[in-house]
Amino acid sequence: MKRRWFIPAAVLAAIALALGACGGDDDGGGTEAGDGSITVFSLWGGSEQEAFQKVLDQFTKDTGIETKYESARDFLPVIRTRLAAGNPPDVAVIPRPGVVAELARDDALIPLEDMGLDPDAINENYSDTWTSLATVDDTVYGVVAKANSKSTIWYKPSSFQENGFEIPTTWDALLDITQQYDQKLTGNKAPWAVGAQGRDNSWTLTDWFENIYARQAGSDNYTKLFNGDLPFNDQTVKDALTEMVKIINDKYVAGGIDTALGISFVDGIGRVFSKNPVAEMYMEGGFVGGIALGDVNPDLKPGEDIDFFPWPTIDEANGNPLVGGGDVASAFVNNEDNKKLIEYLSTPEAGRIWVSTGAIASPNEGVSDDAYPNDLVAKEADQLKNAESFLFDGSDLLPGTLGQDFGTLLQQIVKNPGNMDSLLDDYQAEAENAFAAR
Amino acid sequence: MSSTAVPGPVGRPRGRRLSSVFKRQGIQAFLFISPAVLLLGVLIVYPMVRTSIYSFANLNSRLEVTRWIGFDNYTRLFTKDKSFLNLEEFPPSGALANNVKWMILYTSLSLLLGLLIAVLAARVRYESLMKAIVFVPMAIAATAVAIIWKFVYEPDPSLGSLNAFITTFGADPIAWYGRADTVNYALIFAYVWASTGFAMVVLSAALKGISEEVIEAARTDGANEWDIFRRIQLPLLSLPIAVVTVWLLVNVIKVFDLIYVMTGGGPGGASEVIAVTMVDEFGNGEGGYSAAIAVVMLLLIIPIMVFNIRRFRSERVTG
Repeated sequence: MKRRWFIPAAVLAAIALALGACGGDDDGGGTEAGDGSITVFSLWGGSEQEAFQKVLDQFTKDTGIETKYESARDFLPVIRTRLAAGNPPDVAVIPRPGVVAELARDDALIPLEDMGLDPDAINENYSDTWTSLATVDDTVYGVVAKANSKSTIWYKPSSFQENGFEIPTTWDALLDITQQYDQKLTGNKAPWAVGAQGRDNSWTLTDWFENIYARQAGSDNYTKLFNGDLPFNDQTVKDALTEMVKIINDKYVAGGIDTALGISFVDGIGRVFSKNPVAEMYMEGGFVGGIALGDVNPDLKPGEDIDFFPWPTIDEANGNPLVGGGDVASAFVNNEDNKKLIEYLSTPEAGRIWVSTGAIASPNEGVSDDAYPNDLVAKEADQLKNAESFLFDGSDLLPGTLGQDFGTLLQQIVKNPGNMDSLLDDYQAEAENAFAAR
Repeated sequence: MSSTAVPGPVGRPRGRRLSSVFKRQGIQAFLFISPAVLLLGVLIVYPMVRTSIYSFANLNSRLEVTRWIGFDNYTRLFTKDKSFLNLEEFPPSGALANNVKWMILYTSLSLLLGLLIAVLAARVRYESLMKAIVFVPMAIAATAVAIIWKFVYEPDPSLGSLNAFITTFGADPIAWYGRADTVNYALIFAYVWASTGFAMVVLSAALKGISEEVIEAARTDGANEWDIFRRIQLPLLSLPIAVVTVWLLVNVIKVFDLIYVMTGGGPGGASEVIAVTMVDEFGNGEGGYSAAIAVVMLLLIIPIMVFNIRRFRSERVTG
């Protein structure tokens, strides 16, 4: 008889225990002592992850605090699930400043001051452009761990030389080179490659748009547009898109638009820089160099087979602003270990180790040029430091669903430029709701 | 097949006084069902109720309710969100319309192919080999299926086998999942490939259950092979066919992994389905909105469940 009681009771007890264990997560007031181990969460894999791991390894060597790197390509759903479950990672490197602001306003991030860190001392090595990414309503929530220029166009110097092309400094010159390439290339070859497949790669199109818009409509309009102060069906947007489809069309993109929307960002790099290239130029950020040399084709010679030039100007009056991105490292749990890691990530030492891998450029002014392993990354870092004006990747600043839907919108527009007006009207209606809800 | 639907013998023990039976059975019955009830309650009912409640609210990133907004999430879903349902085009497009496309094409194709292979394989000597080959994809995880088919459909003919095949006939390579007009069919076909094995195995087993004598008798009476299939095998297979159909339908309403990995809903949202939209909206911080999408998905599955349960009940009466 006793047995019959025992099993269900044991099951009930086990469930009660399991449920109880789930609820016991609470980060109280001040900075607590850590348990000697930190989970760090971000979305990098492959060569990008290896590079960051080197930084973490050095941190462990210096402090004795173990680190565990966790990675998820679908960063956003995972971080939100973990937050809702009361089980956030200790530290996360957040790829979108729009998300940093949102998490900060929901009190999910720990301000540096609450951890006993001096924000001014931490920010000393960074210019205001960068610190603003980690600052929400005058409170500093983290450090900008890495930076990227997205105003870079990758090309093959040897091919330019053969054809007698000069580095284009104006949009018209770039269009001219595109046309000349098109006349010279035969078969399935084309001047450009684009990789903008699905949800995960449509950001390459938003980067195209942002670079054109910033140069054609100007920095002020750019800021207004991505802050919801200028409608997306504005004529300036239509003008920029009209310029964009002068290059992103079936004629000038290898395989046509269907292929561009059918291959990933990395496959797009492969179409230009692999051993069987079908295209000559590729537009994406500074990280293209690291991926091309590290993952696509290690035999490439920088400066000969691969190099980049800055985006050409479109309207002289608007100059040549730099569009770029940055990732913010921020703590979700207030303890001594996490404090040390955040502090470490802001040091020039950490920056030097990271840039020495060739994977990133550091926004940290204490990282000198000779820390970079090749000219490509050094050049990118130079571009970041010397930019006349810097604009943050606009689609990453858009609230809620808008950022992702902007990529989807551009996919639809490059496929059917004729539908531009109605597509932009629809998107603007969505944007009004999203900005109102913010 | 039908035996699984019939519950084991239940009935109260005889020859005891009712009150004591009631008392003892009460406690005992409670104890026996409580683990199941508790697990179902904690893992299914509670999240379901909570999700339904969330669908009437705006949530912050910790899933705390910031504002109650009534049916706003639902109005937005059905009238304002063209990526979910766009009635301005004909045929309608959007995630919901795509799910309907999936339900019709995927379910009928998997079922027909499964039936065809089951019936034909029964007539050849290498039946088990044949069935093993068709069944193998069932053992592959959906994400792996997605990666396999990504290679098949790859636009570059030197990588993509399908394009390598069609270019040998002089055709131009087609970016199967880069085009809005081909992407859904490409995805559906890949999933049919992965599910036909299930339909085939169930139907083949049911086919084996039909007594040889019935078929022999029909042959003696002069029935040809088509008659045997049409008038004997098919009617006797109606129950397993219903079971497979229900399984396929439920499977397709919640279809997610294959699309998430292969296209992520692209290009331009052309291959969005309900479940992918739900996860994306959640990732974008729209907790309440994605809860509303989850509720819509649940409401789609309920009629199929009701049908299934009612069929089980009727089974019990006749069985």
